[in-house]
Amino acid sequence: MKVLAFEQLAYRHFASDYASKYDSVTTMPYHALVDRKLMHQDHMHFLDEMMHAARSGFDGVATTEHEQASYDILPNPNLQMSALAYATQSEGLNVGLACVGRSLAKTREPLRIAAEYAVLDQISAGRLVAGFPIGLSYDVNRNNGIPPIETRARFYENLELIKKAWRSEEVFAWNGKYNKYAEVNVWPRPFQDKPPVWAPAIGNPVTLGGIIDNDDNFLYLSWFGPKLTGKRVFDRYWDMAEERGKDRNPYRLSFVQAVFVGETDAEAHREYGPYIEQGYRTGLGAIPMQSMGLPGYVDIKGLEFIIRDPGDFGIVPKMRTIDYKELVDNQCAIVGGPETVAQQLIEIVKNFRIGHLVIMVHIGPMPHELVMKNIDMLSKHILPKLKGIWEDENWENRWWPSGAR
Amino acid sequence: MSAQVVIKGPERTEVVKAWNDQIDVQVKVAGSGPALVYLHPAAGLYWDQFLDKLAETHTVYAPEMPGTSFGDPYAIHKVDTFLDLVLIYEEVLRKLGLKRPVAIGQSFGGMLMCDLAAHFPDIFSKIIPLDPAGLWRDDVPVLTNQLYLDKPENLPGYLFLDPSIPAAQAMFTPPADPEMRVKHIAHAVWSLGCVAKFIWPFPDQGLAKRIHRISVPALIIWGKQDKLIPVAYAEEFQKRIANSRVEIIDQSGHIPQMEQLDKTLALVKAFIAS
Repeated sequence: MKVLAFEQLAYRHFASDYASKYDSVTTMPYHALVDRKLMHQDHMHFLDEMMHAARSGFDGVATTEHEQASYDILPNPNLQMSALAYATQSEGLNVGLACVGRSLAKTREPLRIAAEYAVLDQISAGRLVAGFPIGLSYDVNRNNGIPPIETRARFYENLELIKKAWRSEEVFAWNGKYNKYAEVNVWPRPFQDKPPVWAPAIGNPVTLGGIIDNDDNFLYLSWFGPKLTGKRVFDRYWDMAEERGKDRNPYRLSFVQAVFVGETDAEAHREYGPYIEQGYRTGLGAIPMQSMGLPGYVDIKGLEFIIRDPGDFGIVPKMRTIDYKELVDNQCAIVGGPETVAQQLIEIVKNFRIGHLVIMVHIGPMPHELVMKNIDMLSKHILPKLKGIWEDENWENRWWPSGAR
Repeated sequence: MSAQVVIKGPERTEVVKAWNDQIDVQVKVAGSGPALVYLHPAAGLYWDQFLDKLAETHTVYAPEMPGTSFGDPYAIHKVDTFLDLVLIYEEVLRKLGLKRPVAIGQSFGGMLMCDLAAHFPDIFSKIIPLDPAGLWRDDVPVLTNQLYLDKPENLPGYLFLDPSIPAAQAMFTPPADPEMRVKHIAHAVWSLGCVAKFIWPFPDQGLAKRIHRISVPALIIWGKQDKLIPVAYAEEFQKRIANSRVEIIDQSGHIPQMEQLDKTLALVKAFIAS
């Protein structure tokens, strides 16, 4: 299996009462909250940490895209990924580069994304994983003014356009509902014949159906507490895949999980615990629930499903004031000494048939030195125990970039 | 509390095939007498006592915007632009055979009605916008996007000066049956989503450029304490429509025909009779 390191670029210096005063999206006042030197430092530490992971034996690094957000300041993750593509290439580190943003529902320039991804794939000689999320409602609809009810239709049109722009031999015209181009001819094209596509989603059956039918990879984000949501969502995914005639190849499935490793369980909880608690409260917890699904964003069948049974949201509704213990109990973060962490991860990976484990190595205000330690502990103690999983089943990994190891 | 409010509701539904037969537009109808068209706001058609009263003297035709009719949610996906919507409504009114009816439009319905009257100057004989959307001033923001972003329990505060009045309580009480409750809430949220196609992030589709084309008499009614679309917009409409006047209703939020039913009804009836 493949193990990737993932971070969001949070501003790491908010006061502990941040979540009681501000949201983490759209409205928080930049100049009142941010010190420019610390913001610069956070940008550098983000890149330093991702490079450290690339040098330490992770199979890949991953980024997401969020605009007007204080918990993930990556308005265009391709900028950071470009720096990582060049630096890893220069050092001969052939890690996968999973850009699991960019949101296709919000973009008004899908061909720019096609071209940017192609550039990344060229610099990295074929190491790009092309992530195409729909995008969260606050970002697509609130930040970018897309009418919520158009969200899905725009996503599918943009995805089709990008895929065609990559593979078409001829210059073609695109007369779509949302895009009109007389002459599409993207330069460069990707280095890979067909960059693998990962679709980040939270388990909405309508979205899952589209991912499966496209034969793309489903990336599930675990922040909702996999103990509560994992079995529901993964069982649904594999059942739907089977219904739609797909095999049980674990590489169809990727999973984001926050993991923090200390020397012992007690030390890990003591060292990482306060940062994890604040990270969840000030990040995901401080997104207003209404902004996660503006009217029209969720299909009416999905709405009825959610109203009957809100279980897919796990502990999200109380995340703003959540206690550390509850985060750990629900596995929103897996924290502990090497044995504890390895045992929990192996269980999740095997039970849910996960082919790509995307490990979130940092959260919220966690300081640079501690993140570096976490990466060291993961690479020394955890990666060796994960790497052989699935090898005995001989599945072909068609969702991993051909230029990566 | 809802028991205090007795609503007769529509008597029948006329289904009009429109948009090259792709959409079945449901038109709720009640009463007898001269035709009167009512265009509903963003939450979808809610038949209230105001419409009951109008149906005592008129035949009230209330078309449901595509997507907001119960059981036919995906009709909205056939309507791509606001121009499409305007043309669909014109087609529906034409196929109903209505000859220059009086029209009343609430909020988003008022915006749509004004644009119909601007596109087709002879389609109505008179128009009555009730706290209409459609114009925008940077210094007086319309709060429709805030309404969409806020918690459901805060919704009544945008619409009513006093959300505790029985009419408001009745409107916001979902059915008691659990399965009907699920369907009702999902349908209400979806209806807001359908209309958001034309009012997100702002209810501005360029009416300011076209409103001068309205030639029929207009009675602009506004709740003085309207929080959603402030009363300052009453003058903006009045000065752009040549043959228009404004009536401000005190002690009313965004829906004067519910919060001050008698006063609003009296103004409407006098204007229609004039």
